[in-house]
Amino acid sequence: MKHLRQVVLALLVMATGAAIGAAASVNVTSTTLGVATATVPRCTASGLSVLQNLSAGTVTSVTVGVLPAACGGAILQVTVNNGVTSASGSAAVPGGGGSVTVALGSTPAVTAVEQTDLVLVGP
Amino acid sequence: MIRRRLRLLAASAGFLLGVGLLPGLAASLSLTSHNFTPYRTCTITATPSTTTAVIDTTARQASATSNFGTLTTITVSSSGAANQRIYLRFDLTVCSPAIAASATVRLATLRLYMTAIPAACRILDLYPVTAAWVETTLTWNNQPFGTVLNNPPTASRTGTFSVGTPAGCQNQGTGTYVTGATVTADVAGFVAGTSTNFGWMIRDDAEGSGTTRTATFSAKQLGSVAQAPQLVITYVTVP
Repeated sequence: MKHLRQVVLALLVMATGAAIGAAASVNVTSTTLGVATATVPRCTASGLSVLQNLSAGTVTSVTVGVLPAACGGAILQVTVNNGVTSASGSAAVPGGGGSVTVALGSTPAVTAVEQTDLVLVGP
Repeated sequence: MIRRRLRLLAASAGFLLGVGLLPGLAASLSLTSHNFTPYRTCTITATPSTTTAVIDTTARQASATSNFGTLTTITVSSSGAANQRIYLRFDLTVCSPAIAASATVRLATLRLYMTAIPAACRILDLYPVTAAWVETTLTWNNQPFGTVLNNPPTASRTGTFSVGTPAGCQNQGTGTYVTGATVTADVAGFVAGTSTNFGWMIRDDAEGSGTTRTATFSAKQLGSVAQAPQLVITYVTVP
């Protein structure tokens, strides 16, 4: 009888732990969804114009335009990759939106193809 | 006694395992507190002058059997019998990383550097080409759209921009890239695979003008990075 009580007690404690584990699993699913939605544009879903500003065959800065007012105050992070090297910079989006020019930390050469990554953090 | 301790130890382990997941979850959830708006841009530039990723040429009615693929300029002209059309193609497969077919193209802009501008405001139309063509063999007579003036019809254009010195014209000056040549829908189709990328033909909206009206742009063969034709594609990989 004493053994039975101990077994029941042990099962009860384990079940409690499992129950919390199950709840945690539900949250894991929720977390996955949360991460996915984090990549959905928040302040704009429209097209942004991206123009590279050149000097002597290199990209010195990038001007991003058509930023809506909803993006005002966000930090715009820009990374240019020409396949050989990359350069980054960031700047704050004006309160009313519009355009912002981001100076790059270095000046990659203009090549046939460049990839420019833009990330707006906030507002 | 030992068995009892083992049972309690096992039970405690189960409890702690369940609880132990919670701090990990909290760390992952913190990602959602950021407000990211990620965009990616592929800029294709017609450089160097020998690149095959970009091809451009002009079809000239007045020299109907000649090819002008090696000229340093490309030209649109409306004239009685000397109309000119630009053929231009960018190879999207050079983008690295490749633009996924599932990507959403937010904006695609054609950039041409203007070196001569008409005295009257002219509307230039963009038409996606429907058949393959070769930069070094295209002529007025063998161009994919044929030799009939004002064909294809204006209604089938997918983009347009205006050039000319008069006030109110969209692009009024030389020595700069034109604005307004938006080709988002076309590029979206190329990326999604719903249409084939044969590039674009650019013609004057009203060919056959009594007074010659010409707009000239720098071609790939000029070899100037600062004036090279460009296609800028801004897209997101998550809709």
